[in-house]
Amino acid sequence: MSLFDIAFYFFALITVASAALVVFSRNIIYSAFALLFTFFGVAGLYALLGADFVAVAQLLIYVGGILVLLLFGVMLTTKLVSVDMKTGTLQALPATLLFAAVAGALSGVYIITDWNVLAGAPDAATTAVTIGDMFLTTWLLPFEIASVVLLVALVGAAMIARRDARSKPTQQAAL
Amino acid sequence: MDLLTPHLLSIGPLLTLVAVALLVLLLESIITKSEPVSFWTSVAGLLVSIGIAVPGIAVHGSAFGGMLRTGGSANYFSIIFFICALLTIVFSRDYLKKRDSVFGEFYLLILFATVGMVLMAAAADLIIVFLGIELMSICLYVLAGFIRGSVLSNESSLKYFLLGAFATGFLLYGIALLYGSTGSTSITFLTEHFETYASSRLFLAGIGLLIVGLAFKIGAVPFHMWVPDVYQGAPTPVSGFMATGAKAAAFSIIIGLFAQRFVHGVQIGTLLAILAAASMILGNVVAIAQTNVKRMLAYSSIAHAGYMLTGLAAGNAYGRDGILFYLLAYAFMNLGAFGLISFMEQEGEKHLTFDDYAGLGTTKPFLAVLMSVFMFSLAGIPPFAGFFGKYYIFVGAVQADMTWLAIVGVLMSVVSVFYYLRLVMVMYFQDTLIGQTASYSASSAAFVVLAALILLGLGVFPSSLLAIITTLY
Amino acid sequence: MIPLEYYLSLSAVLFATGVIGVLTRRNAIIVFMSIELMLNAVNLSLVAFSQYLGSTTGQVLVFFVMAVAAAESAIGLAIIIALFRNKQTLNIDELNLLKW
Repeated sequence: MSLFDIAFYFFALITVASAALVVFSRNIIYSAFALLFTFFGVAGLYALLGADFVAVAQLLIYVGGILVLLLFGVMLTTKLVSVDMKTGTLQALPATLLFAAVAGALSGVYIITDWNVLAGAPDAATTAVTIGDMFLTTWLLPFEIASVVLLVALVGAAMIARRDARSKPTQQAAL
Repeated sequence: MDLLTPHLLSIGPLLTLVAVALLVLLLESIITKSEPVSFWTSVAGLLVSIGIAVPGIAVHGSAFGGMLRTGGSANYFSIIFFICALLTIVFSRDYLKKRDSVFGEFYLLILFATVGMVLMAAAADLIIVFLGIELMSICLYVLAGFIRGSVLSNESSLKYFLLGAFATGFLLYGIALLYGSTGSTSITFLTEHFETYASSRLFLAGIGLLIVGLAFKIGAVPFHMWVPDVYQGAPTPVSGFMATGAKAAAFSIIIGLFAQRFVHGVQIGTLLAILAAASMILGNVVAIAQTNVKRMLAYSSIAHAGYMLTGLAAGNAYGRDGILFYLLAYAFMNLGAFGLISFMEQEGEKHLTFDDYAGLGTTKPFLAVLMSVFMFSLAGIPPFAGFFGKYYIFVGAVQADMTWLAIVGVLMSVVSVFYYLRLVMVMYFQDTLIGQTASYSASSAAFVVLAALILLGLGVFPSSLLAIITTLY
Repeated sequence: MIPLEYYLSLSAVLFATGVIGVLTRRNAIIVFMSIELMLNAVNLSLVAFSQYLGSTTGQVLVFFVMAVAAAESAIGLAIIIALFRNKQTLNIDELNLLKW
């Protein structure tokens, strides 16, 4: 077993174990921190797959952006003193069966598929140049639409979460 | 320049709409009392967009290096979306005043949602489909929760968001598997090489996941559970917008993917037929039990998704043209009905039950007549346009040897007559219990009347619209 | 070299974990985290396909997914906070997510 293989199993283990913790932990703070390790594990797998740019973006966007936002959400909506942070689960047995069905069916498809794998990684030492080129040529329109999506998300988030000037002071005190 | 002009014209409706949306955004930030300006800018912009899209129907082409299809069905769907957006904006102005939530951002979000829909209808690549869906959905999540002081509206928004994002996960996994099995995300490529890949399990798994994601968006059984709650809690005109525009947009993708060569040789037709039958049965039967008018229309919209899926399951030109006809008619009748409900609704989600409509025929004959027109049309009673939409779809199903599906559809239409006409009965044959109030502006009233007249016109002269529809693909 | 199936099966497991989370958990933020797991699973399979098909397109798609995920999380958190402000709970028992 080469070092590369060991690295794969290491990251795979981190990803799966922490993902399970995200979903099954009874404490929302544990879930949020487990998610950090899932993102990290996935970033490691990207690096192993030769996608260096994606790996860095994964760390920046998911860990630096989305996870921080989630933590803010957790902290703003949980009154640490009065409410216990445990969160309930329901229907454990159907969930396990569904898990086995979904994961099993998809993995089965992957194993029976006859992969037409093209040998070798892309030549470039870094993928950033290629990806940048593609963004500004073939994928220019989706690139522009993505920027509109982000703009709308900003406007919408500001619209829905901003405090109403006329809202009652009791409501403001609650946050 | 000569080379550029036809190119720009072909994407004219999209460009105009984006420009108007950005203009409204700018107006919102620089003018203090911006709401009336934003309102009229949006209305004018949508009218201009319709004006640009209509002549473009006859010209088929593509733009942005094959990322977008232009003309034909893309323009037809764009016109449906523009009409939905226009009616929604006009109706919502009175409504927002009632709910104390008059903000110009509302029009902005409707416009951007419409941009997303246009992208969905014009998409020739799965990534554009994905981004279009997200642009539309993100706007709709916010619009559903636009009445910020109302818990019902907040909840509706959260439910829609969580289930919408969940559906996006399936859609994306489907796209990833299609990319993995073919090495391409181009819809043109996928439809042309469908037979080549049809034996690949991976490809079929991708198609299956894509259908799951899209079935969520159109609210077909068994992915319908969000529909009643979301429609009930969202601001009434927004519910209408979701039921018509968002549904038409999701159908535009499904038609683009499956209505042509995609269906051949695979059991996708049967799968769609099962979804269609389940949606028609569940939607219509559960709608009978509803006491809230908005909830009744929500279940009715599940049933209508079923009717339209019937046309898709048929997989022939008749069924497809039937869906296109029905989507336009549905936009008018459903938005008209939601518009009237928004006139009647009072602060605090009140006056929304059947009982609140008792005796409306004597107290407010104008509203009662219009509501009856929309109910008759939704039930598929001639001479209104709803009848012909269903007729073409069911004929398509019979021609495709799916007579059982057509029979289910006809039986369920009969069931639906019961609850649509119950509202009409209540309005005309029950005594008024409480003082009814309705508030609406002249422009809203004019648009409702216009919608009713168009329904009647399409019902009397269906062939004129059908002649256009047959040239779309 | 690790075979492609390994990466894809890993992605399937991650996706299924996310689906289970959405369907079984009651807290809106946990449901949202589970959705993020699903999107990460999608990204993982896209990058794996990209590497094994020798085309960079898959990696480009990942960036669009990330951009949209970021936009969705901004909106999602805003909605969650707006609801919490009015209702003081994020328990989505009444959402009837599993009652189809």
